[in-house]
Amino acid sequence: MIELSSLNRQECIRYLGNANVEMNSKMEELLDICEQEILKNAEPKFLYKEVPVNNAELLEGNDIKNHLQGCQNAVIMCATLGNGIDNLIRKTQLLDMAKAVVLDSFASVAIEQACCCVDEIIAKKYKGKYLTFRFSPGYGDYPITLQKQFLNILDAPRKIGLCTNDNFLLTPTKSVTAVVGVSDNEIEQRKRGCAVCSLKGSCRYRKAGSHCGF
Amino acid sequence: MDFKSLLLNKEFVMLDGAMGTMLQKAGLPLGEMPEILCVTHNEQIADIHKQYIEAGADIIYTNTFGANSYKLKNSGYTAENIIPQAVKAAKKAAENTDTLIALDIGPVGQLLEPTGSLSFEEAYNIFKEQIIAGKDADLIVFETMTDLLEIKAGVLAAKENSDKPIICTMTFEANKRTFTGVCISSMVITLSGLGVDAIGVNCSLGPEELLPIVKEMSHWTDLPLVVKPNAGLPDPNSNTYDVSPKDFTQSVLKMLDFGVKVTGGCCGTTPEYIKELSSALKTEKFRKKENQKKSVVCSSSTTVLIDQPRIIGERINPTGKRLFKEALKNNDMNFILNQAVSQVQGGADILDVNVGLPEIDEKAMMVRTVKALQSVIDVPLQIDSTKPDVVEAGLRVYNGKAIINSVNGEEKSLKSILPLAKKYGASVVGLALDENGIPKTAQGRFDIAKKIVERAEQYGIGKENIFIDCLTLTASAEQEGVMQTLEALHRVKTELGCRTVLGVSNISFGLPNRELVNSTFLTMALQEGLDLPIINPNVESMTGAVRAYKVLADIDKNSRSFIENYNEFTPQKTTDNTSKHDLNYAVMNGLKDEGAKATEELLKNTDAMEIINNKLIPALDKVGEDFEKGKIFLPQLIQSANTAQACFDVIKKKLTAENNIAVSKGKIILATVKGDIHDIGKNIVKVLLDNYGYTVVDLGRDVDPQLIVDTAIKQDIKMIGLSALMTTTLKSMEDTITLVRNTKELQNPDGSSKCIIFVGGAVLTEDYAMKIGADYYCKDAKESVDTAKKVLG
Repeated sequence: MIELSSLNRQECIRYLGNANVEMNSKMEELLDICEQEILKNAEPKFLYKEVPVNNAELLEGNDIKNHLQGCQNAVIMCATLGNGIDNLIRKTQLLDMAKAVVLDSFASVAIEQACCCVDEIIAKKYKGKYLTFRFSPGYGDYPITLQKQFLNILDAPRKIGLCTNDNFLLTPTKSVTAVVGVSDNEIEQRKRGCAVCSLKGSCRYRKAGSHCGF
Repeated sequence: MDFKSLLLNKEFVMLDGAMGTMLQKAGLPLGEMPEILCVTHNEQIADIHKQYIEAGADIIYTNTFGANSYKLKNSGYTAENIIPQAVKAAKKAAENTDTLIALDIGPVGQLLEPTGSLSFEEAYNIFKEQIIAGKDADLIVFETMTDLLEIKAGVLAAKENSDKPIICTMTFEANKRTFTGVCISSMVITLSGLGVDAIGVNCSLGPEELLPIVKEMSHWTDLPLVVKPNAGLPDPNSNTYDVSPKDFTQSVLKMLDFGVKVTGGCCGTTPEYIKELSSALKTEKFRKKENQKKSVVCSSSTTVLIDQPRIIGERINPTGKRLFKEALKNNDMNFILNQAVSQVQGGADILDVNVGLPEIDEKAMMVRTVKALQSVIDVPLQIDSTKPDVVEAGLRVYNGKAIINSVNGEEKSLKSILPLAKKYGASVVGLALDENGIPKTAQGRFDIAKKIVERAEQYGIGKENIFIDCLTLTASAEQEGVMQTLEALHRVKTELGCRTVLGVSNISFGLPNRELVNSTFLTMALQEGLDLPIINPNVESMTGAVRAYKVLADIDKNSRSFIENYNEFTPQKTTDNTSKHDLNYAVMNGLKDEGAKATEELLKNTDAMEIINNKLIPALDKVGEDFEKGKIFLPQLIQSANTAQACFDVIKKKLTAENNIAVSKGKIILATVKGDIHDIGKNIVKVLLDNYGYTVVDLGRDVDPQLIVDTAIKQDIKMIGLSALMTTTLKSMEDTITLVRNTKELQNPDGSSKCIIFVGGAVLTEDYAMKIGADYYCKDAKESVDTAKKVLG
């Protein structure tokens, strides 16, 4: 079980596109309301499973091979905030687009926080071992089409209601799939960053001369 | 023996246990699709079935849970070659026994619209294939379902392509809802209405945790209840289950009090569990539960019991509404959705849906509208049309139990509408009129109502599902008729025992102060026994009359709901219509009401176009500039834009009243491309373009390129905006652009394109946009507006 009790507001503001805006009280209030609504409607669920690190099915492309180098095992995981969040954002778009945008950003924050909780759960299970960061289909040259296989292996459609559509997009939309490498030995601290990002420097953060923080 | 006689003759019907668990135990190769084993290891599958038969199962489920064309895609197998093999294995195991074979069907494996992109019709076709391939089974089982609309598609496919009995079980979480939010009552009511043979719950949780779920199910149906629990809760990692066969059996026995008739095991259970359970059941007696018949309708997440007055909102109806007609002609779904949401906020319990207009395809529109409505509101719908094929199309895709509006005493109507009510398990409004028109007297109307109830009974529709409308006549024209209506209503309620429904607002036609007449008549009708007033819930005096009536009639206990609604109510004073701030300030700060008021004031002595060009647009431009400079947030930009929209609306209203041409700077198509379901970015662009005075034709998300081309041709639109969020769907964007460019009707005589295409989305870059043939790349909503200005002015 994952319980989210609060959401990272600075992250939400960053997703909204501006980090240096001077907040007014009306915006503060909107952020308060939206944070509460996401916390109320999110039903975070997750699954994970250990797979052999040499599983050919999972090793498409070079980036994942680099990522798992030196690892003896790999854990594939998925997490979702559930259908309620999609419903909430869809309805709100009709009534108040400004609010919908804030909800959407907070939902992105929430799924990332939920994934961090899964990281901790996995870390606890593999106590004494070393873990890589979460590497998701869609990073670098790691094909997003793998999302469907991941979900099948995890039995995610049946167990937590997480599916893909024909284009391998996750439904509900606020969801994540990823691989974490497990090693007996300390792993060189590889960082998430522009090198493995599917946007490869073309994102809005890079265009503005900064970066997303990873 | 068939399933129905099994139910009649046996105290309890035993199902089997898990297949997956047994496959694992048998050491069979577990690939992604265990169903393929039916072809490659038919003997071993038959052996597992056999073990369950020996353990006491009366019915075994074929190993076909995921054998559908979606899941089997790329596997090298099809439903047609797996399912007959699966049935064969089961038959072989059942040889020389009375065991029945159930064709097992699980979820498609992809979410249906609106969260996913699988359509109801696609789901229906997938199930149809499975049902036809499994024609040699004795019955059909849908299990582990979480979406009511998906299982409805399955049940309809089963009913329309076979005559086998149907068992339906869904999977619930501890919060008594499924992953998609379906509640227990809605599931049971909807599926009972569709005429399935047994209903229940499988998988989900352990038997102990299922008890409250089964208890609630038993409250809503008299059908045999089915329970197939897991062997406890799974360990998330090892995937083992924690309840022993003995404890499992003890927990299931506790559920017999709620009328459980059919039982077995799901994940983690083995022949041991089935043996233990079936021998324990030998000394037990089936405890039949009988419920009072209930008048009730539902959406997938909300059940409305008609045990007290419930408001039906009347506003989704084009009759006499110019803007509504315009919206229908332009396919403007947002207009209709806004009408729906505001009625629900006003207090509607149910919404009437009428989209009949001579110049549109009413059937297609009904389907689109029902689908769109159920994606944003939770209240049940009343499908309103004079055409049976439109009614059927609406009922078919409705995710719940709807009301049909309406049938009447005419033979033709009875014959075409009542079978639909039966087939789709809908309630139906019965109008007290026939081929001779509306009877003048209460007696005449009562007689027709009686006839409708009797005819419905012949179709197997109980009177709890007939809501009689005794018809409101206009008081100014037929004053003596008013009391006849009320008398008929009273008699229908007390003598026939039917619920009553009445459109109220007609009463005051031709009189001054209509609202007063309407609310008085409404109160009189409620006192005579009106259950379902059809009103405009946004007229406070009408909704208020219903709420106050419920207090005075001792329905709203301790006035709880009334106090909740009116606690902060202060009687309306003459409203101060002057704005404290000017238009500029209101737009800059996103103050909608203030902006509208300021606009009204300005309109008194300023030309409309002057306000738009000299006040509104410059204010919006300033906000846009601040956004670009990072001085304000995206939500603030949207709030300002919405304020401008409120101002535009005030201006539009005035111009429409003066019969001036609508203010539009030109039409733009917006769409999120085929396959992509992330549309919030596109929707932000729409809000901004709307607010700058452009007319946006929003085609939604996951949009077929052909629809975009057809719309551009039909409505003569020269500007098209496309969005795609994911790398996987950029290909769709390219395909769409190519189709637009290659369509003759959208080319100039010299072969160049008539259309200007602008694109946006997270993974797009300027270079890529140009490469796939777009005219403009817009990095955000603001830039889309700038582009529209450049192109359309």
